[in-house]
This record gives sequence, structure tokens and C-alpha cells, in this order.
Amino acid sequence: MFRIRSARREFLQVVGAAGLVSLGGSVPRFWSQALAQQDGTSAGERVLVLIQLAGGNDGLNTVVPITDDAYYRARPALAIGKQAVLKLNDRWGLHPSLEGLHQLWEQGRLGIVQGVGYPRPDRSHFRSMDIWHTANPDVVQPQTGWIGRTLDAAQGTEGREAVAVGLDRLPLALVGHRVVCPLVKSLEAFRLNEPAGGSPLRTADWQRAVQAPAPPRGELEFLRRSAQASLASADRLKSLGETYRTRVEYPSTGLAQRLKLVAQMIVAELPARVYFVSLDGFDTHAQQLPGHAALLAELAGAVASFVADLEEHRLTGRVLIATFSEFGRRLAENGSLGTDHGAAAPLFVVTPHRGGLFGEAPSLTDLDDGDPKFTTDFRRVYATLLENWLNVDSSAALGGRFEPLDCV
Amino acid sequence: MNELSPLPQAAFDREAAAYLLRRLQFGVRPDEIDRALAEGLPATTDRLLSVQPETDAFVRAEAALRQTAHAASSIAGLKAWWLYRMLHSANPLREKLTLMWHNHFATSHAKVNNVSQMAVQNDLFREHAWGDFHHLLHGVARDPAMLVWLDGNANRRRHPNENFAREVMELFALGLGNYTERDIQEAARAFTGWQLRDGAFWFNASQHDAAPKTIFGRTGRFEGNHVIDLCLEHPACPRFLAFKLLRQFVSDQPSTPLIDLVAASLARHKLHIRPVLFELVTSAAFFADEHRQALIKSPVDLVVGTLRTSATRVVLPAAAELLARLGQDLFEPPTVKGWDGGRQWIQTSTWILRWNFVTELVDGTGLGALREELWTDGRPQPDTWLLTYLGRAAPEVRAAVAAHWHAADELPAGRARRTLRFLWSLPEYQLA
Repeated sequence: MFRIRSARREFLQVVGAAGLVSLGGSVPRFWSQALAQQDGTSAGERVLVLIQLAGGNDGLNTVVPITDDAYYRARPALAIGKQAVLKLNDRWGLHPSLEGLHQLWEQGRLGIVQGVGYPRPDRSHFRSMDIWHTANPDVVQPQTGWIGRTLDAAQGTEGREAVAVGLDRLPLALVGHRVVCPLVKSLEAFRLNEPAGGSPLRTADWQRAVQAPAPPRGELEFLRRSAQASLASADRLKSLGETYRTRVEYPSTGLAQRLKLVAQMIVAELPARVYFVSLDGFDTHAQQLPGHAALLAELAGAVASFVADLEEHRLTGRVLIATFSEFGRRLAENGSLGTDHGAAAPLFVVTPHRGGLFGEAPSLTDLDDGDPKFTTDFRRVYATLLENWLNVDSSAALGGRFEPLDCV
Repeated sequence: MNELSPLPQAAFDREAAAYLLRRLQFGVRPDEIDRALAEGLPATTDRLLSVQPETDAFVRAEAALRQTAHAASSIAGLKAWWLYRMLHSANPLREKLTLMWHNHFATSHAKVNNVSQMAVQNDLFREHAWGDFHHLLHGVARDPAMLVWLDGNANRRRHPNENFAREVMELFALGLGNYTERDIQEAARAFTGWQLRDGAFWFNASQHDAAPKTIFGRTGRFEGNHVIDLCLEHPACPRFLAFKLLRQFVSDQPSTPLIDLVAASLARHKLHIRPVLFELVTSAAFFADEHRQALIKSPVDLVVGTLRTSATRVVLPAAAELLARLGQDLFEPPTVKGWDGGRQWIQTSTWILRWNFVTELVDGTGLGALREELWTDGRPQPDTWLLTYLGRAAPEVRAAVAAHWHAADELPAGRARRTLRFLWSLPEYQLA
């Protein structure tokens, strides 16, 4: 506890020294919430960590139906054998690479939601990923995402910010009309070079110029808002590396390193409520077995280290991890020892104290164009995360009422 | 009104000329504004859309850079070659369109892994930069880099691979919602056997499925060429291209009526780009108030535009590497969808990189050095810089720039550096 408090104090000192307290009303809550917490109130908000499995994760080889003949018939070369899986119960087993997740299962902390998808599944990566990010299957050129809209709606009431870690660009899920979420690649990337004679960004002229009136919702207004938010984020991220220590040895994989950065930010009590990371490469059209095993091992190893780190810092009770992917894969394997784009698939939820199988696993004999049919609308999962975990209303972000599941 | 109406001659003032050239080239210099004003809008546009002769020095340097890249099989070398073309070619609009097509048919060396094929594809985009989209799309379908990128060799009679067929509809010609999954499956069969052998296009008849196919509701013994033609004849095609042209040259969020007008123009001109682009950028709509600040600079626009107008001794590999960090790694777009652009260019980390770029350039530590003519050419400052670098800006912003210039405590070079540092760090400078 001492470490956490001291980290925040140090961090606020940096903030104060930078003189940014005087910034105007357009500064995101990401920033101003830290100031509100200076008196010690409302510390310990809950945090949601989203892990995107990009490319379309093969749900059937991730959570394996070990008693289903249809699975073994459709995948003579690719099926995971009954003896090879990490058993969940008599009917289900995890892919053997998911050791770290299986330990969480045994601790009663791994939730698996079966058959998650949406009506009229789209098999384009981009379109289906957009659907998952926007939570609105009907908009063809989407502008905002489900997290971004949640933040837009919450603005002015409470600090609810989101940070994307390690991505090349801001995920659509985090794009709002008003909120500008920071994108963190590594702490190195946030070093602002300040010229010897002083940075123009620190001048009163610059402050006045970026606060001059601009047409609402236009590109200039966006640039001015994002410039101020970026400068503020840079100043606070600069101090993070110095305050965080862990005994956990994270694997050297990309995902593990990204989750380590997330842990650093949670430990330093950034008032972000949502963190977004991605693991790419799940588009396993050919020679699937070795590649898919390596990806799942990267996922499980990274999550296990992250959870251990949170435990070391006594933060497990405040952090929930959820995975998603744009679609699962087709039931039948293809001719290249791989699988093609599919539809519904299971997803993982790591919680402080609840686990089990939730929802109904789709039939493997009643298919939609070769793919398992969804049984749980993905927006019910989102409603669960927003309502039951973050305690915010989900109807604005999801465009309607979706009943939360009891997995959280 | 179903045609774009031209801008009245009297409305083509200095600010309009600067705006036109910023959009059609990489940045703008004051002498280029003088020339455009003297020639007028139609003649300027006509010149930019005609191939101008390159200097001997350019031809020699360009060839040497390309040769170096080929000899070393170095994609970094090819990036330097293309940046040299953007910085020094007498045909900047052609380079800008080449970049637009590179983004439209986004192909990455990360998978192609062949420098010469990436260069050949780049030549194809340049050859058809403002030409006939029919030729471009047919050319792309047989382009070696594209065949590698979208798995031509894996598209076999018994195991059709839908990759190219899907993207030609979703990303190259029609856009989502204008075809069915069945259309893609049938089109993939038509492209079976379109393969690569010894680095060149090869029709492998033994892997081709010659049976009838049904595409867009029409049935026939369609071959790959027919599928391309069916896409080009599809009513969604002009609209899809209109959106791309507007996102490149006019606005990150083009209005539906404007998309309709440009789509009509593309249909009227049978998908020839040059007359459509001419109509568009000489129209009153192009110069309308709502478009003057409607486009965010891509990394190439920012970096090449700043370096071309204001720097000397440019270090090409350093510039290419900066572009990668800013999110626009030439020859290596992130996916076949290309760069989303617009607001997606602007992130916390890229803001910092954009600011750090200014610091490096003004201090002369890395990318190149400022050209001294910027403050020794006798033009009135800071008015000239406000015109070339910012275009429209609020009075507060102009006053802040002027205050930096007029604070008379330094030598001219110091004042200039201080002023440019400030001006290039403004949000306004990130607008194209």
C-alpha cells in the first residue's frame, strides 16, 4: 500500500511542477481525476483490461468439445485430442498451451462465455472487427466505439478514461466524439524533446492559440483538444517508469511486455478505467497447429504474469480481464491444414472471484454456412462488463438494453 | 445541380493558390504561389496534371538510389528512393497520386519480401496515377507483388482462395455492402490459376476453374478479366472511388452531396481520373470554407511537405524511419486496408513525434538543416510564412506568431528559428 500511495504522490508532484493544473475545461478527465484524488478520496476504482485476439481466434481449438464427434469428424488433422487437453470437466478442455489460464480455472477465477457472436455474421476481418469495436452491426462506416461512447456519456461526472497500449493506432472501440484516449506504445515514445531555449508548448502564446475558438466537431477543434491532452499525458507518463517495481518475471513476448506496461500504469494509479491491448496473428488459414499453439501460449503466459504482478501489488480485486476476437473459425478444417473465417466463438473473462462455463455452447451439427451459430450476443458481454464491473449504464454505448450475464 | 461548378476567376487569390498547392503537392513555397497566381487556376491545375520534364540531376540521382536499393535488396533503400522522388520530382502531384494508389491497393513488403516487385508495383501506380482506372485495376490484378500479397498461387481449382476476390470487391473497387459472400466465392473461382512463375504473371490453366459462375446476378463462363470488368461496370464503383479522391484531396469527412457529384463526374468520364480531378480542384466546392481546414496532414504530407519547402541536406533514411514511427511506413502499410488516415494519424505518441520532428529540424540535429533563404529572401515575415504554412488561422493565432517574430532580442536567424518552432508546433500546421 505504501508503494502505491508514494507512487501517486510522486507522480502528482511531477504534475504540479509542470504547471498544468491551470489547463482549461477541454482537458480529458484522464487527467483531472488524478487531481481530484489528491485528497485521498475514491482511490481504488475498478479497472477493465481488454485483450483483443486479432485475426479470428479458433474458438473450437481453444475451448475444446472433447466429447463431440462432429468436432473430431470435421477436423481429422487439426482436432485437439481428448488426452491432450487441460480438462475443465467431462465435456470440455482447454488447449494444452493454456496452462496459465487453466490455473486460474482451478482457482475459480476463469470464466468462459460460450458461443459469443452476433446475427448475420460478417466474415470480413475489417467489417467484423468494426462490429465488435462499435457494438453496432448496422453502421457501415462507423465513427465511434463502445468504450469511446461510454466515456463520452460519462464525461463531466467522473473520470473514466481508456488507454490503448502497444498498438499502432487507436482502436475504434476507444474512439469517441469528444474524448481523446491516449495511445501508449512504450514509455520511451513519450519523451518530448524540449529545446534549449524552452519549448514553444510551454509558452502562454501557445496556450492561448490552442484555446482559441474553433468550429465545433471540426478537424481543428479535434487537433487542439488532442494536442492539449497529449501534452498532459506525456507529462504524466514520463514519471511512471521510476515508481514501479515487481518481482514477477514476465515472459519476453510482446503481449507480456504490453501487459507489464498496463500493470505499471495501474500501480501508479492512473485514473484510467479501461486498458486495451492486442495480440495479432490468429488468422490461421494454413499450417495452423504450431502457430496457434504459440499464440495461445503467449496469451496464457502473459495473463498469468500479469495476474501475479497484480497480486504482488494487492490489486487483483480491482482488475478484470476480458478477451475477444472478431470471429471464430469454420468448423471444418481446410485443405491447407488451417481453418477459414468463421462466426461464433467462446471468450475468456478473468475475474477476482468467479469462474465457470457460461452461456450455451453452439451445436456443431446445426451450422450457419459451415460455422457454429451464436448463442450469446456479444453486446450482452459488453453490458456485463459495463454494468456489473464498471458500474456504468450500458444502454447509451450499446444503443439499447442488453441483459448482463452472471459471469461477473 | 448535378455538376461541380468552377471557382470564379476573381476568387483565386493568394490564400486560395496556397491552399490549392498545399493539397496537390507536398507543402508550398512562396515562388510557387506567385507562379500559380500569374497563370490562373485552370492553367496551374492543367500543368500539375501534365508530365513535366525532370532535370538531368534528378534523373541521375533517382536512378542511382533505385539501383542501390535493388543491388542491396534493401526496402529501406527503396523508401529513400521514393522519398527522393517526392522531395525533388518536377511532378509532385503524380507522386501524391502514386501514394494514394499505394494506400488504395495497400501491399506490404513485409509479406511480398521482394524489393524489385515492390518497385514495379510502384511504377504501375505512377504510370496510371491520373489515368484510366480500368487500366490500373486490370494491371493490379496481374501485378506480381499483388499476386504474392493476396495469395494468387494458393488459389487453385479444387481449393479456391478468396483473398484477392474479396479484396477486389471490398477494398479496391466497390466497398462493403455491394456484393454477397456468394459473389466472392464465385469470383475466386474465376481467378483460380492466376499465379506467379519466375516472378511474372502466369495463367496456370491446369489450376483454373472454367465452369460457369454467377456474379452480381449474371451467369457466364467468367474469367478473371471478366470479374474485373464486372466490378468496373458496377454502379458502386464510381462512388467508392469518389470517396477515396475526396479523402485524399478535400476532406476527412466528405459530405454525401459532394460524393455524389464526384461519383457522377467519374461515371461521366468513364473512370478516367485526370478530368475528374481537374473538375474537382477547380470547383467552387473545393475552395469552400468548410473544406479549408477539413483535412489532417498525413505523416508524408507533414514530413515531406516541411522538408521540401524548408530544409536542405535532407537525410533520406532518417526521414523514412520517422515516417514509420509516425504511422506511415512506406511500402509497409499495416493491412490490405491501408492507412485509415484522418484523425487516426493523431495519437499521443504521434503528437510528441510531430513536435520532436520540429525540434530536430530547427536545431539541425538529424533530419536536415533549415534553408537560410527562409529568412534571407527579403519577403515580408511573418506574413509569408502564415500564408505558406498555415493558410487560414484565427486572429489570436496570427498575433501569437507575429509576437514571436517581432520580439526583437535576437539576430534574424534566431528570430526565424524561434518563430518557425512555434508556428510548426501549432495544431493549425497539422492541417493540410
